[in-house]
Amino acid sequence: MKNKRKHIAHRMAIGAVTVCIMVLLSGCGKGKETQSFNLFTWDGMFPQEVLSGFEKEYGVKINYSNFDYDEDMLAKLETAKGGDYDLVIADDYIIEIAIGEGLVQKLDKGRLSNWGNIDPIFQGHFYDKTDEYTVPYGAGIPLIVYDPAMVGFEITGYEDLWNPALKNNVALIGNYRVIDGIVLKIMGKSFNEEDTAVIGEAGKKLLELAPNVRLISDNNTQDYIVSGEAAVAFLYTSQVTQALAAREDLKVVYPKEGLGFGIMAGFIPSQAPNADIAHKFLDYILKPEIAAKCFEHIGYVCTNKAAVPYLSKEAQESLSLPEEAKSGEFIMDISAEANEAHERIWTEFKARLD
Amino acid sequence: MKRQNRYGLFMSIPMYIFTLVFVLAPLCYMVLLSFLTRAEVWGVVNEITLENYQNIFTPVYIKTFYESLKLACICMVFIILVGYPFGYFMARLSAPWKKRVSMLLMIPFWTSALIRMYGWIIIFRSNGILDKFLMGLGITKQPLKLLYTYPAVVVGMVYALVPFMIFSVYSSAEKMDWSYVEAARDLGASPIKAFFTVTFPLTIPGLMSGIVLTFVPSMGLFFIADILGGNKVVLVGNLIQEQLMKARNWPFAAALSVTLMLLTSVIIWIYRKVAKVKDLEGFY
Repeated sequence: MKNKRKHIAHRMAIGAVTVCIMVLLSGCGKGKETQSFNLFTWDGMFPQEVLSGFEKEYGVKINYSNFDYDEDMLAKLETAKGGDYDLVIADDYIIEIAIGEGLVQKLDKGRLSNWGNIDPIFQGHFYDKTDEYTVPYGAGIPLIVYDPAMVGFEITGYEDLWNPALKNNVALIGNYRVIDGIVLKIMGKSFNEEDTAVIGEAGKKLLELAPNVRLISDNNTQDYIVSGEAAVAFLYTSQVTQALAAREDLKVVYPKEGLGFGIMAGFIPSQAPNADIAHKFLDYILKPEIAAKCFEHIGYVCTNKAAVPYLSKEAQESLSLPEEAKSGEFIMDISAEANEAHERIWTEFKARLD
Repeated sequence: MKRQNRYGLFMSIPMYIFTLVFVLAPLCYMVLLSFLTRAEVWGVVNEITLENYQNIFTPVYIKTFYESLKLACICMVFIILVGYPFGYFMARLSAPWKKRVSMLLMIPFWTSALIRMYGWIIIFRSNGILDKFLMGLGITKQPLKLLYTYPAVVVGMVYALVPFMIFSVYSSAEKMDWSYVEAARDLGASPIKAFFTVTFPLTIPGLMSGIVLTFVPSMGLFFIADILGGNKVVLVGNLIQEQLMKARNWPFAAALSVTLMLLTSVIIWIYRKVAKVKDLEGFY
């Protein structure tokens, strides 16, 4: 009898635990009363000062979640059916896809009093031709940076990376559309080449680069040239800015074969829980003095013309769009077939390394 | 007794549900996904195809499997060379020392494996600790380029996986009845002969489970190849990650994952045939 009672007690305990777990689980997701704003972008896209300033001014709590790849962002946004996040900042080509999937809502420009501060050079591009969905937040051009003390000749273009004198001395970013793309540029083609035969041809040329590659990395690639681990690096804009800030003796090259170009922009997802605050935030970061702080922090080309006078003297120079870049080519989404051809030549290339 | 059984069943229901929801369901989803077709722009379309599996057999991708197996085998040799003697001698320590040594082996696991790999960067990089040491001794004259090479990846893999071998061999050697060895010695066997005829065969289950516990994960540790290999060594794990995150070819990534799982299942099946045991030693 006693034994039986003990069993009943056990079962009741288990039942109680189950109920507790269910209560806990259902409790998740319910926020507190203070308004919260869900920002979704890469790590380190805003100085803390700007985020705290916004929280204080509007009495809002910012939840900053980050992703590593644009594709990761889109997958999450798709799972959330355009909800969960109030503002997303990502790359141009993925925004085009997100708009096509119906995951983006139109901006209410009446609520963006600082809209006019945007530099029109960065508006009306392929991903948002009529400027209805996005606010640009930085632009970039991948560039070559080299250490003249370690390189015995002058580098002027992508093709110089193939020079046998640079054996085991080149650091590359890991974006295959960009790296395959520079080969296409050497061949006089477009970054967005669709012909798989031409891409295959580029693959052969790419294999010849293998002996010169010291490493491929997407994160903090500038460290390798700053520390002397590599003599030449092909870098994203923010990395170029950081490399030059760390070592003045490094040289930047605007490759003569033509430049690639990209814009990052912010958009409000279609089912954003708090689109109102998202508009306030966009307007806030468009204020000239706030924007200047942001651009000095991220080190990308300044897309806010009113912010330029607020930038430091060095930043005015390094964060402005050089004349050559105006003819830069957007790296856009291409057909699945062409994408697969790129992926294949890239894997072949990596298999050839070391 | 009967009630005890029913009670046990009741207790295990949450585990079954957990396994069904978080292991079996994603697995089924992945197998299903591997037969679908990628959409032109984003996601997948419901068209059944075998193309993803055919794609694996193109030379460039099959080579990735070969490279992964090769690296796993090379690492295995070093893991055995380091891990077996370590586990064996650990089992011969006095009880307090056994505790201390296994504690020392466990402590690094409190830190993320990723961060521990960054530790190796500090050692290997140009003008890093190892370079300074070798130059200080006058063995090398200029900084070696040790980082982002194949040996650096091997060192990282061996470092990450060797504790699993040590613990497997240790638990096997620990359970062994040492009076067999004493008997062999009494009957005139030399220490080396006693080791190879008595100790070694008795610790084979531990060694085998160590091999499975380290060989299988070594196929998937893509972050080591990324961090210490500078992305120059492409393993199946790297390929899956890239197909999923960058190339947006989810069905192909799923097909690669399914193939990798089949491959590792075969390895475990061979292990069971060879070792004639059902469970892995050391961790179960």
